[in-house]
Amino acid sequence: MDEKRGAILAELPRLRRYARALVRDRDVADDLVQDCIEKALTRMEGWQSGDNPRRWLFTIMHNLFVDQLRRVKRRGVSVSYEETGGSALVTEPSQLNNIAAREVLQALQAIAPDRRSALVLVAVEGLTYAEAATVLGIPAGTVMSRIARGREELRKELEDASRRRTIRVVER
Amino acid sequence: MTAEFTERDIHLALDGELPAERLNDFGAWLEANPDMKIKAARFDADRQRLQSALGPVAYEAVPGKLTEAILGNGSDLLGMSSWWRGAIAAGLIVAAAAGGYAVGVTGGPAGIARASDPVAERAVAAHRIYSAEKLHVVEVGADQKDHLIGWLSKRVGTTLQAPDLTPEGFSLVGGRLLPSGEKVAAQFMYQDYSGNRISLYVTQTAGSDETGFRLFENADARAFYWLDGGFGYAIAGAVPEATMEAVARAAYRQLLPGAAKS
Repeated sequence: MDEKRGAILAELPRLRRYARALVRDRDVADDLVQDCIEKALTRMEGWQSGDNPRRWLFTIMHNLFVDQLRRVKRRGVSVSYEETGGSALVTEPSQLNNIAAREVLQALQAIAPDRRSALVLVAVEGLTYAEAATVLGIPAGTVMSRIARGREELRKELEDASRRRTIRVVER
Repeated sequence: MTAEFTERDIHLALDGELPAERLNDFGAWLEANPDMKIKAARFDADRQRLQSALGPVAYEAVPGKLTEAILGNGSDLLGMSSWWRGAIAAGLIVAAAAGGYAVGVTGGPAGIARASDPVAERAVAAHRIYSAEKLHVVEVGADQKDHLIGWLSKRVGTTLQAPDLTPEGFSLVGGRLLPSGEKVAAQFMYQDYSGNRISLYVTQTAGSDETGFRLFENADARAFYWLDGGFGYAIAGAVPEATMEAVARAAYRQLLPGAAKS
């Protein structure tokens, strides 16, 4: 039991990163991670010790994300900025890195969620197409085509962003 | 030997899905197809950008609520919890030593929660325009603060106050009157010792919606905003998010009682 908890704990940093790629808001992303952990803990019996915990956890998280998207679609949500004080540990990167990072994360949010998740699993989390297919519950060929479309969309978003940047009034 | 590839193989190669023995032929095909080579380089660059933007998230401190969700309070777990906690702390130290690069994306109405209010967008637009001014940042300066506040209160239609943000390092420069859709808005401009500016924007809103504290971001400027009692308030600026949040919370605390009166 403790071994399994330890394995989940060890995956936390990557779960948080995947969640942050799916929903950009840090608090919403951590809530998603927490839901994922809670669900995982209730299902630990069904998880074989030898199984890759990452794939198992990512699958749970993905399903929760899909549920969440459905709920949001029904209601329409604007995020509230909760008083969590969680930003204290975040150090600001240099201004340039900041803009580049911000732009690419914004672009990522602008692409379709199913393409976003496929792209992030493979290009950031380093899963193979077969692994991503298991997590997303789709055939490997579909993973491939979602990634291809996702990359095209991302490129287009980034081009738009850099065009906007060049015409923006520069502050200070 | 003429190996044929398609655009599809660019993705396969990039994702390590192209069999190793085909990589040489693929490289030759790219050389022979400059368009495809450019495309492959672009996708590769985007991927690196994505990796460097998201990578640091894995080195952030993991919130206590998450480790607790797994370990409980740790007391019944015989030293294992402290071992893992130690490991996480060690990871943190490594991350800090590596330069402490972390992306400031602590919150933002992006993606699934994109709906923003025009108040926030207008505040950001107005901030961009006037904070860049050297000579005419404000219409009425802070030296005539009483006159400024009286005038703007009358025009906007509520008892305004210019919050005191000196504990946060910002002092009042002055303010101006602005159009906001069919209505008017007041803008108070503040500046810190190194010339960074933030502004408070207040306008009447159409409905009487109330919101909590929200963050709106576009490109490199952001606004924390809230709607209350028929008025919208926004603190806009391009300073680091943590600074903005501190300033906005201070303003929020000071303005909320005043707003309730109207």
